[in-house]
Amino acid sequence: MSSRDTGPAAGRRRSPWPAVVGTLRFVVTLAVAAVMVLPFFWMISSSLMTYQESIRVPPVWWPEVPQWHHYLEVLRDPRVPLGLYFKNSIIVSSAVTLLVLVTSSMAGYALTKLDFPGRDAIFRLFLATMMFPAFLFLVPVYYILKRMPLMGGNDILGLGGTGALQSHLALILPFAVSAWGIFLMRQFMMSVPDELVDAARIDGASELSIWSRIMLPLTRPALATIAIFTFIGQWNYLLWPLIVTTSAPHLATVPVGIRMMATAYSTALNAGKLQAATVMAIVPTIVLFLTMQRHYIRGFALTGFK
Amino acid sequence: MTGPGAEGSERGLRPLGRLPPPEACPRREAWQMARSLSRRARQTVAGYLFLSPAILFYLVFLLFPVGLSVYISFTNWNMLAPLERARWVGFSNYTYLLTRDDMFIASLKNTLVYALGTVFIGMAIALGVALLINNVRGSALWRFLIFAPVVTPAIAVGRIWGGIYHPSQGYLNQLLRAVGLPPQQWLSSAELALPSIMATAIWAGVGATVIVFIAGLRNIPAQYYEAARIDGARPWHEFWHITLPMLRPTVLFLSVTGLISAWQVFDLVYSMALGGTEAGTTPARAVMVVALYLYTTAFRNLRAGRATAGAMILFFIIFGLTLILLRVLRRGGLEAYE
Repeated sequence: MSSRDTGPAAGRRRSPWPAVVGTLRFVVTLAVAAVMVLPFFWMISSSLMTYQESIRVPPVWWPEVPQWHHYLEVLRDPRVPLGLYFKNSIIVSSAVTLLVLVTSSMAGYALTKLDFPGRDAIFRLFLATMMFPAFLFLVPVYYILKRMPLMGGNDILGLGGTGALQSHLALILPFAVSAWGIFLMRQFMMSVPDELVDAARIDGASELSIWSRIMLPLTRPALATIAIFTFIGQWNYLLWPLIVTTSAPHLATVPVGIRMMATAYSTALNAGKLQAATVMAIVPTIVLFLTMQRHYIRGFALTGFK
Repeated sequence: MTGPGAEGSERGLRPLGRLPPPEACPRREAWQMARSLSRRARQTVAGYLFLSPAILFYLVFLLFPVGLSVYISFTNWNMLAPLERARWVGFSNYTYLLTRDDMFIASLKNTLVYALGTVFIGMAIALGVALLINNVRGSALWRFLIFAPVVTPAIAVGRIWGGIYHPSQGYLNQLLRAVGLPPQQWLSSAELALPSIMATAIWAGVGATVIVFIAGLRNIPAQYYEAARIDGARPWHEFWHITLPMLRPTVLFLSVTGLISAWQVFDLVYSMALGGTEAGTTPARAVMVVALYLYTTAFRNLRAGRATAGAMILFFIIFGLTLILLRVLRRGGLEAYE
């Protein structure tokens, strides 16, 4: 930064520190990058290894002949219904995302642009649940789904059948409202000027059309953030699908599927194929993240919740 | 809130509601009162209609379950029989968990270690990385590199690191051998299993923390640094006297949110410790975290009453931690950042 023979240090002996710091910085940066990248590299390379290569000591970095056919084989393997896992994950993640967008934006509108008694108390109640651990809900929600009246062979009292537990609804309904989503929509909608809404009311617009024609277009960035965040979160969510699919294996989502595959392929003979399936399971979220990075990162910067 | 409507009717636009225009009213004030009343009534109806989807799901899947949880935690319910038939057992679930259940007590200790370790070591590392890459070129690539693990399912992260920690074929032991150190049983020894999982958790979560820190760093006014430089401050002084104090709200925010989620860790421990990796089996007590204990107790052993009591204890821990942390950090001059 400072040149050699000017500045206050020119008279004294030059300190070697800037050069040392610069080099150190470079080395540390490189090391951080390596630590972040190498695990992914290992995952891909091990998905292409033969069994002999995968158990060799010292370990192989890159297979001599990459076994790309592992990917095709695992897709065709009837023991591993990867297609079903993807279908379930797409259904559940999209449905939850859509529901969260609707409930959050409607609630956000009510909480910012409509004035009525109890408004702030309701908002505080929503917020309070953010501190509740998920485990406070799991057992009772499982039971509530099981007792859903007139579903899955249940009678009107919710007895006798399986309730909602055997359908995708079991994975969707409990996540239809998100305190985080409501919080974010409220923050964004507060920045929309009240005059705009009042002017529309004077022109005779109904509240529903103000919400859909004015508020939704104006809060598109917030909607994008909530959408990408909810989708990736649901896609990666393990705990609840794990619980539900214990009695309904046909509902297995991708993370549960990886878990199931690990059992199905426990013979190390198929380690490469199992890794190939894991790689394919990761690709959708990585691609989604790449295409919507900005919106996704804003979600973290705003709330810090994972 | 009277402005726009009155202006509207003066401009000859359609007046709000079904009330007659002000000319038709004998007393203008009374008309305005009635109008604002009806406006409020309409907004109340609309407000609750707009909130109804959220409230409906909220009641059925959040509020009602919390109430049920409180009740279940005082019963010996087994999840299979209808809840109406469960027997009331008072506080015995709580006393059993806190005094006699070694596994639950071990899980509390492990989770405490896990939460403190991952949150605070993770924050220190993240701050370092944030300072390192904040003004560096190619920040888009960096963002991708540090964020890739954040969007990767924890179960896949567990598989990846299970392979790296593998005692014979894993790269980590290979590295140790190369520099002449003895290889370690990363995931199957009681001492190393939890720290190994914590290291993976930090690796997987650091990207999100870095992003929040970078946002915090960019909010520090540049004049502070300029003024410090004029006064001859060293980089270390700048960091200690400007950067760190200015990042205090960020640190508070990350500590609270980090601790709340770290106390609930499940995915990573589940995928790394309970098989599913080729790295061998881990002694359960060494890695048992609260969420894993509750999952096993409720959905494997069907002791819903006991598990729910455990969840209540977890809730009080999270609640208490948050309050303490908020108070401690607020004492350092945080009132402005509420």
